[in-house]
Amino acid sequence: MTTHDGAKDTIDAKAQVRRAVASLAEKTSNAESTTSDLSIDEELNLHSIGWEPVELVSGVSLFSTPAGLWNWGEGEIASASEAHAQAFKFAIQRIHKEAADAGGHGVVGVHVERRVYSTHIEVTLLGTAVRPVGAGRVESSDVFVSDLSARDFTMLMVAGWEPLGLATGASFVYAPRRTMGAALQQQGQNVELKNYTEAMYSSRESAMERMQRVALDLKGTGVVGVKVVEGPMSFATHAVGFAAWGTVVRLVKDAHHFVRPTMVVSLNDLGVAFDAQSLH
Amino acid sequence: MSEGPHDLPEAAERRLTSGAFSSGLSVSDFSACLEMGLEPVGLVQGFCAMHQGAYAMGGALSRSLSPYGGSGGGYVQNYQCPHGMISTEHRAWGQNYEQTWVQDAWNQGFTSAYGRMLEEAATLGAHGVVGVIDSETPLGDVGVIEFHVRGTAVKVLDTPAPTSSPWSTYLAGQRLAKVFEAGYAPVSIVAAVSSVRVWAYCVTEYLMEGFSGSMWTNAINVSSSYEIEQIVTAQTWSRQRVRSSARAQLHGDALHGADLRLVEREFEKGDLEIEAVLRGNRIRRFKDFDPLPVPQPTVRLS
Repeated sequence: MTTHDGAKDTIDAKAQVRRAVASLAEKTSNAESTTSDLSIDEELNLHSIGWEPVELVSGVSLFSTPAGLWNWGEGEIASASEAHAQAFKFAIQRIHKEAADAGGHGVVGVHVERRVYSTHIEVTLLGTAVRPVGAGRVESSDVFVSDLSARDFTMLMVAGWEPLGLATGASFVYAPRRTMGAALQQQGQNVELKNYTEAMYSSRESAMERMQRVALDLKGTGVVGVKVVEGPMSFATHAVGFAAWGTVVRLVKDAHHFVRPTMVVSLNDLGVAFDAQSLH
Repeated sequence: MSEGPHDLPEAAERRLTSGAFSSGLSVSDFSACLEMGLEPVGLVQGFCAMHQGAYAMGGALSRSLSPYGGSGGGYVQNYQCPHGMISTEHRAWGQNYEQTWVQDAWNQGFTSAYGRMLEEAATLGAHGVVGVIDSETPLGDVGVIEFHVRGTAVKVLDTPAPTSSPWSTYLAGQRLAKVFEAGYAPVSIVAAVSSVRVWAYCVTEYLMEGFSGSMWTNAINVSSSYEIEQIVTAQTWSRQRVRSSARAQLHGDALHGADLRLVEREFEKGDLEIEAVLRGNRIRRFKDFDPLPVPQPTVRLS
């Protein structure tokens, strides 16, 4: 391992291991235990900006939707959109509470698991609560939740921004059935099904507008890392859905701090490995 | 995790104490281990096939016989029908309860297999076991689970022979090297399980079937929300329980690289089992973090 200026790094890996293993014979620590699902790289990233992991935390919610909801109707399937919003809201509240109880100031690397069934909607959030090293507790309402990885969280903070929370928006819309005449007329033709196209646009606009509304409510300037799930529902032939979520961010420094990347050529890339085929 | 019984088969002991070493490491992990002064001495394994003693509890028969039945002294939460209706098709009561016997069987099976692996490592004079992999496989459909824990036993070069049980970690190679460099020593792998059975009562059943807003669900509705509270409670309890079980094994150390998974099995309509399993590496700080520069982004030219 060498540094940028080519100087030899002085880390003695074997001595480190011997010292570490010898320490296991000593008494166990009196410190408070911590749990996290971060990799060692992510933990080092956090430490470089003065943050530390505290506890693995989660939040879950399941919301029921009325029977027969998905098959007949016009416009938005309001009950389903509302159930989706409520499930996210409750899951976020619960992960906030678990994080605050553990002494966290925020939750990073949140895995968002979202399942839409014909009868109910389930949302699970799982991530690691983090805090500035040694910092005291904050209120549950002051905890931020972010689906950015610890690595992305570090880069965001280095660039002068801060995460404020998770913003979500979803909309489910009926794609109106064609009349019998229209269906017969279009049979055997290449034709756009405008009922589906328009339903997708309608659900997209509502969902994105809702997500951006949450961002404004959190006093954010934007949403980064937006994930989108869209398309027809597998259990209903005339319903489409669009859901989006991401992390709301705000600039905390006077201006964005430009982080200039360094170009590197990796020596362990498979592309430069010896290839026996090249001898032919 | 504690060490299990000393019951290493004689043939295994003979094989382990003679001949060439074996290892489950990839070439790059093998190379990284040598760089750290860890010498692989053998691929070590432990097995245990466990039968869950009270597997039938919670099945269809006991459901009809045992409302508010015993749960082995663990968590129990009861749900009572708010409709005042008596019918064979209407679930007048429901229950979430901790399946302590499932957890006990899992813990015993895992600990035995793990202890047997450590015993093999100790026979080889190893200081630790790296690159541990564990699996739990149901054998048929008779309530038997095979626990298999395996890893590569290593000796730390230029150190005295071990005087205590070997340490263990799921990590190997460069990721393990980074753990040492960050100032942590691996202590042991940690695995914990929680199991909760859910017998849905009428309201949960109707909500799961999409009857929110009906006469059956409005009876308990306190706001305009139709959250399926019984399932939410069971899932939340299950995750919290498995985390506290893992914490109880840490004794002031940290759990790193945790992996929490939740599996839901539906035996029949309204009869669910929720099982959460948490795995991770117990690590102990042996020196303070070296001050780190703020990371610099890089772009790979390849």
